[in-house]
Amino acid sequence: MTDIYRPNNQEEISQFIYDCYELNRPIEIITLNSKPIGRSIQCSQTLDLSKNSGIIEYQPDELYIKVKAGTPLIDILEVLKSKNQMLGFEPVDLGYLYNGKPNYGSIGGVVSCNLSGPRRFKSGSLRDHLLGFTAVNGKGECIKSGGTVVKNVTGYDLSKLLAGSYGTLSVLTEVTLKVVPKPEFSETFVMYGLTPKEALEVFSKVMKTSLEISGACHYPKNNIDFLRLNDLDNSKTITALRIEGPKNSVQERIESLNKMFKDVKEKTILEIYQSDLFWKISANLECFNNSQKIVAKISLPPTETTGFISQFCEDEIMGINNKYFVEWAGGLIFLEIGNEDPSYLILEKMKKFCKEKSGHITIMKADNTFRTSGFFLSSSDENIKILASKVKLSFDPRSILNPGKIYAGI
Amino acid sequence: MSLVMPKPDEATLLKSSSIINGLKKISKHVLSEEEEKAVYETDGLSIHRQKPIAVVLPETTKEVSLILKYCYDNNVKVVPRGAGTGLSGSALPLEDSVLVVLGKFNKILEIDFENRCVVTQPGVTNLSITGAVQHEGFYYAPDPSSQMACSIGGNISTNAGGVHSLKYGVTTNNVLGVEMVLIDGTIIRLGGKNLDAEGYDLLGVVTGSEGLLGVITEITVKILKKPQSVRAVLIGFDTNDDAGNCVADIISAGIIPAGMEIMDKPLIIATDNFAKAGYPRDVEILLIVELDGTESEVNTLIEKVLEIAKKNKASYNRASESDEERLRFWKGRKAAFTALGAISPDYICMDGSIPRKKLGTVLNEITRLSKKYELAVANCFHAGDGNLHPLIMFDSNNKKELKKAESFGADILKYCVKVGGVLTGEHGVGIEKRDLMCEMFNNDDIQQQLSLKKAFDEKSLLNPGKVFPILHRCAEEGRVHVHKGKTRFPDLPSF
Repeated sequence: MTDIYRPNNQEEISQFIYDCYELNRPIEIITLNSKPIGRSIQCSQTLDLSKNSGIIEYQPDELYIKVKAGTPLIDILEVLKSKNQMLGFEPVDLGYLYNGKPNYGSIGGVVSCNLSGPRRFKSGSLRDHLLGFTAVNGKGECIKSGGTVVKNVTGYDLSKLLAGSYGTLSVLTEVTLKVVPKPEFSETFVMYGLTPKEALEVFSKVMKTSLEISGACHYPKNNIDFLRLNDLDNSKTITALRIEGPKNSVQERIESLNKMFKDVKEKTILEIYQSDLFWKISANLECFNNSQKIVAKISLPPTETTGFISQFCEDEIMGINNKYFVEWAGGLIFLEIGNEDPSYLILEKMKKFCKEKSGHITIMKADNTFRTSGFFLSSSDENIKILASKVKLSFDPRSILNPGKIYAGI
Repeated sequence: MSLVMPKPDEATLLKSSSIINGLKKISKHVLSEEEEKAVYETDGLSIHRQKPIAVVLPETTKEVSLILKYCYDNNVKVVPRGAGTGLSGSALPLEDSVLVVLGKFNKILEIDFENRCVVTQPGVTNLSITGAVQHEGFYYAPDPSSQMACSIGGNISTNAGGVHSLKYGVTTNNVLGVEMVLIDGTIIRLGGKNLDAEGYDLLGVVTGSEGLLGVITEITVKILKKPQSVRAVLIGFDTNDDAGNCVADIISAGIIPAGMEIMDKPLIIATDNFAKAGYPRDVEILLIVELDGTESEVNTLIEKVLEIAKKNKASYNRASESDEERLRFWKGRKAAFTALGAISPDYICMDGSIPRKKLGTVLNEITRLSKKYELAVANCFHAGDGNLHPLIMFDSNNKKELKKAESFGADILKYCVKVGGVLTGEHGVGIEKRDLMCEMFNNDDIQQQLSLKKAFDEKSLLNPGKVFPILHRCAEEGRVHVHKGKTRFPDLPSF
């Protein structure tokens, strides 16, 4: 049983970490409803940040919001909605994957995972939207970097490092995020029945146009039942392209897509309400609702995706049939791996493939056994690991913050 | 106040000739004669000059790796340099250093339209990347004014921006990967053609690190398809406040222009004389707003912008009717620095970033300071992202004027921080703003940055004396933040 400490503010967080530093006590960092992502860790102390919550400053005309890190993301999204703004990186709600119900968690947790939704390839990832932060490092010192402005090269850009560091470098106490206006209108152009290879060709073709696609995903036959929208036929593979902007522009661009793919027989257009719903479902990985298997995220150059799919996702001749879907215009695959092979040889083969093709794997969800003995990130470059270890120690010299969460021993 | 650089290491200076010989065994291109080195004694901040022990121009990554390893083993400082156009002195050599110039890394290695990226060597100019892909309608988004001359490697080191960064981001948002050599000679790869490298975002922290963490030898950047339609509008105002309010109102209306630039009267006249841009000469301040998208979208947005301008008492407006006209609007703005060079013997260019709505206030303060220091100033702003470039004019033959200009510049930057902004938006800290870092950061903040530096460069051999203040100066100036009654530099001789 570990002690759970719930500080109210940055000073209390700083004091607590300073004490743990002095006593060499490892700390697991959580907020309410944290999901067990990353490697499994054992700590004598638990730091629950949910009380350090609240919006500090929202400046719609300056396009930023500054909040305490324990603030529930859902509260932030509500406030932004009231001014017709949003977070450009399209946050991912892992609540569905982990418990089958919505639960965005806290903004600190979201930033620490650096997960970005379908708009990623157009609008950048979460780290591109983090303008600045304050945090407490592993010695209990309060540090800050960045600011509230978008152009800033004053010192090292530590915001980039902290985004996606899974709480292993410092404990975030405040974050400033860039916000963007909500698109006035959006629609989704859907093509049915394409093979993954054909879908990848579609992505390649549209990405070479000026149509400014802001979402491009493909759902194969084994992963469409869950998509239940009035205007969507979920009996055939789905290839979807999202267009956003002023209404006249969206309609013109949808028309261009219609012309470009006039030979595709079966297609439909999702209007704004259903379009928004579709991309929310996709962003939140709802197809893997409460999955009890291993769910992996594979990032690859889009040209390598077809090869990956035929080797690891679906191939009738080889009898491969794992549930997956393709996001980011071909740059990302989410894949569920069955438990039939307890030694997870397939993961090792995937790692090898990714290493050769300049990609990588992140395990989004796994059981405790795998979280203890398996990998979380696929990187095998020793030089990078050495550097990562030095970077970790430069923030957290006694390695007390979420130790081992990303890599064993770091 | 004259610039204090880290004290040269006497032992290193004494073994200069052996260092030169050592380097010559690794590289064919080692410059050690005084006249050969003269070309490299300064960068775009030409008021400071210093020759290094030697200048090396390696041709391969392997060579860079061997040079760095040699320097690491022999405790010799290394200063990396790209095209030398940087405005804050990041590439100023140190007397006891080896200057590693990436000029021979001048080839584009791969154009990959399928994955929407270009793999290039760091010495390639920013504009050549667009040049290499524009036949297919693609371009590289960050476009600093110096894009014809500045190198993409240098862009990474200062996280360069440009006039389109509000909508398309700065360098850090457009770089996918780098190959980099660490000070001990280790070659590493960060990121690549895929999105989002795993683990710590080392690429993110290397971008904008001004050559303090490693030497970049290869870069993968994202390329974008050109928008269907682009138009620009010129809008003139009689007061700073009206222009500032107009900018804030455009953003508040949910419009994200591709570019939004401001110039004040001295620059309007200077650039119009120089580039024949067709600017109105009877307005006090000129706003250029560029909008892109589909044709109908652009036309709708232009109407909206003109409506907002009218509400903010605009006294002039003109929308471009052709691409030639649009490019002419930009020709003046992009020639701002050159045009000013034609009317003032010297100028220094500042680079603060501020909240957009403070534009009017900051412009008014700059006018006040200009009177106080009795030095003329011209202003151009990347108004969309609040990045300002006041150009302070002076005559370097008059030593007092240089000193005054530097104090004037420092006062502007301090004011930027005071209104919630930062010291530098896109030029970097270098040596120019080094001693102002304590205005923005306290000791714990700086200590953390220095610890990170040590993770990459334990011996502090890469570009020392840049970005972070020299300890005793910061303390002397009374800006040291004392934490819990004690200072925090026990194990740091200088920073």
